[in-house]
Amino acid sequence: MPHILIPAPLRQYAGGQSSVEAPGATVAEVLAALTSLHPDLRKHLFSDQGGLRSFVNIYVGDEDIRYLEKEQTAVGASETLTIVPSIAGGAR
Amino acid sequence: MIEILPAPWEVILGHARACYPRECCGILLGEVGDGGSRRRVTIAVACANAYQGEQSDRFELDPADQFEAQRLARKEGLEVLGFFHSHPDCDAYFSATDLAHSWPWYSNLVVSIRHGGFDHARAFRANEAQTESTSEELICPTS
Repeated sequence: MPHILIPAPLRQYAGGQSSVEAPGATVAEVLAALTSLHPDLRKHLFSDQGGLRSFVNIYVGDEDIRYLEKEQTAVGASETLTIVPSIAGGAR
Repeated sequence: MIEILPAPWEVILGHARACYPRECCGILLGEVGDGGSRRRVTIAVACANAYQGEQSDRFELDPADQFEAQRLARKEGLEVLGFFHSHPDCDAYFSATDLAHSWPWYSNLVVSIRHGGFDHARAFRANEAQTESTSEELICPTS
């Protein structure tokens, strides 16, 4: 079953776990299963319109899904999804 | 409280000076204690500023750099504790832009660089709603 690496800010919404297993054959399916297991994660990953929030990046293995098939990217049974927060800012 | 050890502190200051008058940015790795309230930075990863535009007052971290930093942290048994960036020729405050593009929990180190040299630094954390930030006690070699 794929597993998802949870960054520190989101672990409080995932039972304190740094890694969670969730079934699915695509990124969308795995994230749906993840947020079904841990509903409090939903608002931190998805916008009100249902898409991934713009400052949430997902990697499958070593690849950023923005450069693959986005949320329809295939996920193998033993693959790892990594949630990577977007960070930016500046003095202005 | 966030403590930055001398080796990562030199990485941070060196990167801030090298990037001046543009903003620099990078990632802080280290150890967490007391349920997340005490943090010790043992590694600072200097990253390229990925902001597509004028970089004198804006920065953006490339997600690929963060992905690699997460991997390094797991390999070393550490945690990604937060991020650093510089404010060239202005104070080390946490701007509205910083707050809007931050995440809760993470420490955000801001380094003021004036005329190419270190002036002062402060650390901040955003609240859960990202509506405000609070100062975090900073212990670093020059403080």
